[in-house]
Amino acid sequence: MNKQKSMWSLRLSTAALVLIPVAIGINYIGKTIASALKLPLWIDSLGTILASMLAGPIVGGLAGIINNIIYGFTQDPISTVYAITSLFIGIVVGALSYTGWLKSFGKACILGLIVGLVAAIVSTPLNIIFWGGQTGNVWGDALLAVMLKEGYPVWLASFFDSVVVDIPDKFVSVLICYFIFKGLPNNVKNLYRGGQKIEEL
Amino acid sequence: MKMTLYVAKNSIVHKSDPITKLTYCLVAAIVPYIIPNHLFAFVIMLLSISLLLLGKVFRKMIPIYILSLFLLITIVIIQGIFHPDNVTPLFMLGPITFYQEGLLIASLLIIRIINMLSAFGVVILTTQPDDLIEALVKKGMSPRIGYVIGSVLQIIPQMSSMVGTIMDAQRSRGLETEGKLSTRIKAFIPLIGPVIMNSLIATRERSIALEIRGFNSKRKKTFLRDEKEFLFGKPYQLLLILCFIGAIIWRIFQ
Amino acid sequence: MKKIIVDSLKYKYPGTDNLALNDISFEVEEGEIIGIVGKNGSGKTSLSLSLTGLIPHFFGGGYGGKVLVDGLEVRNSTVTEISERVGYVFDNPFSQMTAAKYTVYEEVAFGLENMGLPREEIKKRVDWSLQLLDLESIKEKYPFDLSGGQMQRVAIAGVIAMKPQILVLDEPTSQLDPEGSEEVFQVIQSLAQEGITILIVEHKLEKIAKFCDKILLLHEGQLIDFNHPQEVFSRDDLKDYGIMPPVFTRVCRALDIKNPLTGHYPVTLEEVTQLVKNHE
Repeated sequence: MNKQKSMWSLRLSTAALVLIPVAIGINYIGKTIASALKLPLWIDSLGTILASMLAGPIVGGLAGIINNIIYGFTQDPISTVYAITSLFIGIVVGALSYTGWLKSFGKACILGLIVGLVAAIVSTPLNIIFWGGQTGNVWGDALLAVMLKEGYPVWLASFFDSVVVDIPDKFVSVLICYFIFKGLPNNVKNLYRGGQKIEEL
Repeated sequence: MKMTLYVAKNSIVHKSDPITKLTYCLVAAIVPYIIPNHLFAFVIMLLSISLLLLGKVFRKMIPIYILSLFLLITIVIIQGIFHPDNVTPLFMLGPITFYQEGLLIASLLIIRIINMLSAFGVVILTTQPDDLIEALVKKGMSPRIGYVIGSVLQIIPQMSSMVGTIMDAQRSRGLETEGKLSTRIKAFIPLIGPVIMNSLIATRERSIALEIRGFNSKRKKTFLRDEKEFLFGKPYQLLLILCFIGAIIWRIFQ
Repeated sequence: MKKIIVDSLKYKYPGTDNLALNDISFEVEEGEIIGIVGKNGSGKTSLSLSLTGLIPHFFGGGYGGKVLVDGLEVRNSTVTEISERVGYVFDNPFSQMTAAKYTVYEEVAFGLENMGLPREEIKKRVDWSLQLLDLESIKEKYPFDLSGGQMQRVAIAGVIAMKPQILVLDEPTSQLDPEGSEEVFQVIQSLAQEGITILIVEHKLEKIAKFCDKILLLHEGQLIDFNHPQEVFSRDDLKDYGIMPPVFTRVCRALDIKNPLTGHYPVTLEEVTQLVKNHE
């Protein structure tokens, strides 16, 4: 019924902009709760993923990039490096969500795997350039060490280091967001899409 | 209440133009990656650290370094022991051999990281976030993005205190947050769900509140706060950008 | 002079079938205070939103008829244009804070910065509205550290600083304690003295009976009555619309005491007191 704006439109509604700080807040509390519960995953991109599902790739990408820049400039400069990864997570989730990948649980699972893979692909060159291949996750870095010892090239070892960290993390995160998204009332879901159409009565 | 590591001090670094500091931060953090030379990276690192000393904030930098300590140690281990180019043993630690080639790579990476942290520190510790945001908006960044950044700094402390309240409430209702992994995973949704729902629903009201206060105004935004006079303005920014371009040119013709 | 003209206004929210506002027409004179009453779902909030342009511009949906505020047609204007003529305050003080400013002073200036006013004018207007809302003593405080009543006054100040000639308040005291509500009601009266036309949605009928010139009664999206408080609150069918008249009116009705001057049941304490005095 609503005439949808193109999902790539740069003219963002106020609601979509207001969603960005909330998304970044959700990233933060997700990470806080996950570490308080000592979960073995980061779970630090729930907000970015949700914002992308709700408001599309541009808002999702912006939320991702701003998230890491703000952390970089207020807590931990290292996280700025991954602004590019967050940007890609936002764009991929947003674009795929808007083209039907949230229609079923099965598709959402595949979306989770795709997002994890994209995150690993984007992070690998960053990890190699900035820290010689590590991710900072003990298990991933242990795998990196083993693969290097076995004579695999750095890029491949580092990619697997990222894969074992990012795929479970993003897979779980996307599924959590999928269930939250499904549970949201329609007026919230439609709030951020913009292009509110007025019909004459 | 406020999410910032800013330390109020009276120093020449504090009084410098936020945009110049930001430009310095980016140029200084990136250039050692363009010019792969130990001595060069080391000099830039010393420069960043001296700016911190000049700003009287070096001591506040230590927790930020410590945050990255794990990363730095793993770099030494991974590169020093496992790097594919390793051939020349340098020393043994028990049964483990550290190699010269790997350690040389590790030392360059570590200098670059410490330099990057310090360069960020120059901005983080000596610049008020509002000054930086306002300066960026005056430089042409969208005021709407300026709003977004400014409000993140307020919303995160608010949401984390909300989490504290909900954690206490759910625990007192008998939610188990300790024990087996499956128990802890099950606790995640009841803890985070309510905060997400509430904050999403609140976005509608906040958008309304902003719209009725001219948030979408097409007119050029003005600023309540008095124009602050900063040292080291535009010429220094240009100089830094020239250095950056110079580094790229050097790399291409090298 | 007519400040507000609403003519055959019809509205339905996107994705719904029922009209939230069904053929509403009324006019408001400059400086009047109008109380909007009706039970939940009667269209009070929708009517408020359509005076601010948020209906239809923010919400979308089906729209018909005409709304003119201070001569400006809402349908053909942006929310920004309307916001300089119509101020809007709603129930939740917390979400009305911008969450980007660190002092009450800066918070109140937010709209003026967006309007692009010169700094001196911003300061003048902020000082004026802080004084009007009695917020000068807390102007350096962090908005989220304030009490609900104070925060709601800051919200009003932020809107009033934009110098709208019309102010729409949608249940401005429903989330406040009695003390906070009282603060807000006092402020509304002083705003009325400034000559601002005020429309207020409110459940505390004793309050609005006292200072409203007219009451607008809504039911299921339709306008049932638009008249002086005594007349509206003396209606025999008020219960059918889910409205409980002010306590004084109910007492007088039970005792069958009418105001001989108007022929209606009294609505305020003052009116009852006056009647009793005259009687003595």
